[in-house]
Amino acid sequence: MASVMLSEAEKLYIVHGVQEDLRVDGRGCEDYRCAEVETDVVSNTSGSARVKLGETDILVGIKAEMGTPKLEKPDEGYLEFFVDCSSNSPELEGRGGEELGTDIANTLYRVFSCENSVDLKSLCINPKEHCWVLYVDVLLLECGGNIFDAISIAVKAALFNTRIPKVRVLEDEEGTKEIELSDDPYDCIRLSVDEVPCIVTLSKIGYRHVVDATLQEEACSLASLLISVTSKGAITSMKKVGKGSLDPESIFEMMETGQRVGKSLHIALQKILDEEENLGTSRPKVGFLG
Amino acid sequence: MPLDHRRLRGPEESQPPALWASAAAEDEEDEEGAGAAPRDPCALRPLFARAGLLSQAQGSAYVELGSGTKVLCAAWGPREAAEPGPGRLICEFRRAPAVRLGRYPRARLAVSALLLQDGGSALAAAVSAAALALADAGVEMYDLAVGCALCRPPAPAASWMLQPAEPEERRAAARLTLALLPALNQVSAVLGGGRGGPPEDWAQALRLGLDGCHRQYPVLRQSLLRAAQRRDAAAAA
Repeated sequence: MASVMLSEAEKLYIVHGVQEDLRVDGRGCEDYRCAEVETDVVSNTSGSARVKLGETDILVGIKAEMGTPKLEKPDEGYLEFFVDCSSNSPELEGRGGEELGTDIANTLYRVFSCENSVDLKSLCINPKEHCWVLYVDVLLLECGGNIFDAISIAVKAALFNTRIPKVRVLEDEEGTKEIELSDDPYDCIRLSVDEVPCIVTLSKIGYRHVVDATLQEEACSLASLLISVTSKGAITSMKKVGKGSLDPESIFEMMETGQRVGKSLHIALQKILDEEENLGTSRPKVGFLG
Repeated sequence: MPLDHRRLRGPEESQPPALWASAAAEDEEDEEGAGAAPRDPCALRPLFARAGLLSQAQGSAYVELGSGTKVLCAAWGPREAAEPGPGRLICEFRRAPAVRLGRYPRARLAVSALLLQDGGSALAAAVSAAALALADAGVEMYDLAVGCALCRPPAPAASWMLQPAEPEERRAAARLTLALLPALNQVSAVLGGGRGGPPEDWAQALRLGLDGCHRQYPVLRQSLLRAAQRRDAAAAA
């Protein structure tokens, strides 16, 4: 990950501030930075979203394509994640970016491996033969700390925005099946994102933990816990990253904080998504030049 | 899933025969499972650990769990590396807090683990094996990392079980693997997923896992001691 060089004095300053619940930009330990979420930014995808969390900028595009269901789950569709970080900084081009990208993709697979995060059965067209495959492409435009949270918010917003065309299966006398796309371009199925989890990263700095760490704060933190929380407060996955170790008591505290913060994150995100939906076509589009 | 190019797979159209096994066979298995006495969730499977097997590697370890998981691990290092800075530990699952990397500047330590047979809780066994291999290689460490796995079956309000076997792991609704440094009581790694529920459930699972790690620790230390004694005897002879 892109990292900053900090002197010992700067690190000490950050650590002491966090002990007093005061971070460098004035936030408390459980506050997120100002976030901008915009959906439907890329026109040739089934769904897309762009999230700017402070300096971090993420673009997610979802394309729905027809494919064959997996052998073990013949009546469900599935999601495929691909993460690209090469545009970020010179050290992330080529092999370095690939490692980080695979790491993020594996984390997303694990977060969405819970059966009821996304209703996969609604993605099935013909059991064992046809199903919708959602290819989720994540583009890391800028890394300003806390990329996992931003990516999960963007994926949830993009899933909410995804419109999958409705298809009908026609069977003729010989039994051959034909798939017919409906004529109306606005006739589509939407996915329910109520159970889609969001990742909350809690970084341990000194004796306390902070939510939504900036690059500088990440440099001071030796260990972080990534927790994925659903809107109802259930934790669906947990992973520790970093080269330091964690006390079991800290882990329990971090889980409580993660659940609390995750729930309020979901409420705020859903409010924005519903507002965008209600504005419909009259919504002012900011796009990439704003 | 990112593809693993080092494995040789069968032809593209091949399918595992188990998928086509009749549903009747599966029902039988379920009944048997339910008929057997419910497993004591805190029972740890027997663990066999041995260090110092491979002569080519500087340090090696073999861990076998009662459910049939076998992991062989070898450690090499430290070697000169091109990049300046503190030493790096190359391995998949981070046990880096256990190793005193500050003592090995500009060095690379390589650990490779080979899973011979997966009978459930493979990652936990691999963590313990890797820690043993590093210790056997003589790398300075703060503590031996012990791995423990838990899973929770899909039945509602079911309790967490330690060191699941493969069929239990496959049917599990939630899984958790953790690595602990018992002497320092610090958790060096946690990896979990699935329908866990509220944090209290995960906290309870963590406590069970910590307890399991503490109970496995003496076995691992014994195996290291025996390996050192064997090496001394061989050197003296």
